[in-house]
Amino acid sequence: MDERLRETLSSMMDDEADELSVRRLLSHGNQEDVRGQWQRWQQIRDLMHEQHGPADGIDVAGAVREALDGHARSEQARSPVEVPRVSVWRWPVAAMVFMALIVGFGAGAGWDTRTGVSVQALAGGSAEPSASAVTLSAAVEEVALQRLDEDQLRQMRQYLLEHAQHNSVGAGRGSVGYARLVSASGNY
Amino acid sequence: MNNRVSSRSVFGAVAALVALLCLLINPVRAELASETTKSGEATAAMAWLERLGPALNMTSYRGVFVYARGDQVHSMRIAHRYRNGRVEERLVMQDGGSGEIVRKGMNVVCVLPDRGRVRLDEVIPSGPFAEAFTSQLMPFGRWYLPELAGEDRVAGYDVVIVALGARDDDRYSHRLWLEKETGLLVKSQVRDVNGEVLEHFQFTDLEITDDISDDELEVQTRGREISRTLDDGRKQESSVGRMNGWTLSWQPEGFVPAAAPRSGSGKAVAFSDGLAAFSVFVEPVGRLKMPTGASRIGATTIYMREVMVSDRPFLVAVVGEIPPGTARKVADAVEVDDDFVAELSGS
Repeated sequence: MDERLRETLSSMMDDEADELSVRRLLSHGNQEDVRGQWQRWQQIRDLMHEQHGPADGIDVAGAVREALDGHARSEQARSPVEVPRVSVWRWPVAAMVFMALIVGFGAGAGWDTRTGVSVQALAGGSAEPSASAVTLSAAVEEVALQRLDEDQLRQMRQYLLEHAQHNSVGAGRGSVGYARLVSASGNY
Repeated sequence: MNNRVSSRSVFGAVAALVALLCLLINPVRAELASETTKSGEATAAMAWLERLGPALNMTSYRGVFVYARGDQVHSMRIAHRYRNGRVEERLVMQDGGSGEIVRKGMNVVCVLPDRGRVRLDEVIPSGPFAEAFTSQLMPFGRWYLPELAGEDRVAGYDVVIVALGARDDDRYSHRLWLEKETGLLVKSQVRDVNGEVLEHFQFTDLEITDDISDDELEVQTRGREISRTLDDGRKQESSVGRMNGWTLSWQPEGFVPAAAPRSGSGKAVAFSDGLAAFSVFVEPVGRLKMPTGASRIGATTIYMREVMVSDRPFLVAVVGEIPPGTARKVADAVEVDDDFVAELSGS
């Protein structure tokens, strides 16, 4: 990755990259390299801002979620972040696209369908589930407790798609519907 | 004796009376005031929501939005134009390669990159989109408490925040950020009873303008194209009472049935309370064994249950943006008719 691309990456972290540069970066041959660099820099930045990330890697999805929420999660041991009342979403489009890459929808890179659809499945079985069995924990994080095989995943996705269709594309939620539909169709 | 009552004592008495009256009136007034504020607020919130329906289709705009649920984050670029009573839009997926959906009126074209594992007809299931489903704003004020939750700025536009708190445990709460001029939904969240955000949708880049060129609405990806024509001319199926071979003996308050297309070898019906929706799929169990119980992706719950009818196993799946407990209750309330079983045996 040459100096110019590295510079672009760096300016992206400060929300100062222009779209043209970012496009150039995204079309760089070795995306693994780019991704690795981004992650390393984010790690450093987090350390500098005294944020605690998970020990085994960057919780990027968490960071995005946090930015979206606009506030620090109280249940995690993070130093409170001062958030202005005005909307904090200032990331340029280019950075968002890049973030999507990082989260794992790599441009053409293989995507493991087993982990693609994150479901938190509770113990089911033929026994009548008690009320407690359907009480999900408050955590928003979803853990795949039950591995679905491909056929099961496909069926699950089919249900999600049909439901998204009933719910949304024509319905009053507009783009939310498309988003759900795209999300439900998994990884294409 | 002095007949003239001392003015001071009269004054005192009047003052005391007035004070007493004040004591009585003020609390009542205060309560009235807060009630007026609350109901005024609810009215104002509903007024904003009434602008939402037409805004979504009749506003022209272009932008990029992000959709996050659980650990997944998707990003899409959209151009939406409303002209001469017709909706045209183009969505381009920003994640993982290219793919786009272009809709012009009732024609939908979807272009996908060539990925072997995804069946094309999975992406646009056959059957009509449920346009009639929520073309008018359903009165969901009974099930959600509307409140104005402040103002904000999203993607460069001033917005008003409308919170719709679930009035019971059978549904989630919603929060909508509406652009002030047009009422366009620019951000929304679905939250559970603990206030946890289950699903987050937000425009990160937005331009509301009528000046959307034809180029922006043309398919630009090279790849396999699949087209569907949304058939909104189809009459809504009557789904009150007997519904295609099975009935629901219970549904959460406020959820009413709506027409829905067929799904696989079974039937499906969708229900909505005006804000949230769930779909019920009942199919005979084939070779595929599905895990029973509850799963959740973001705000969407999938609850599956197997039921034996006339010695034939059926799979009941309830999918929707409702709490798992509610999905379970709905699934438990599905009763498959013997007639349905007989009909299936014949096919």
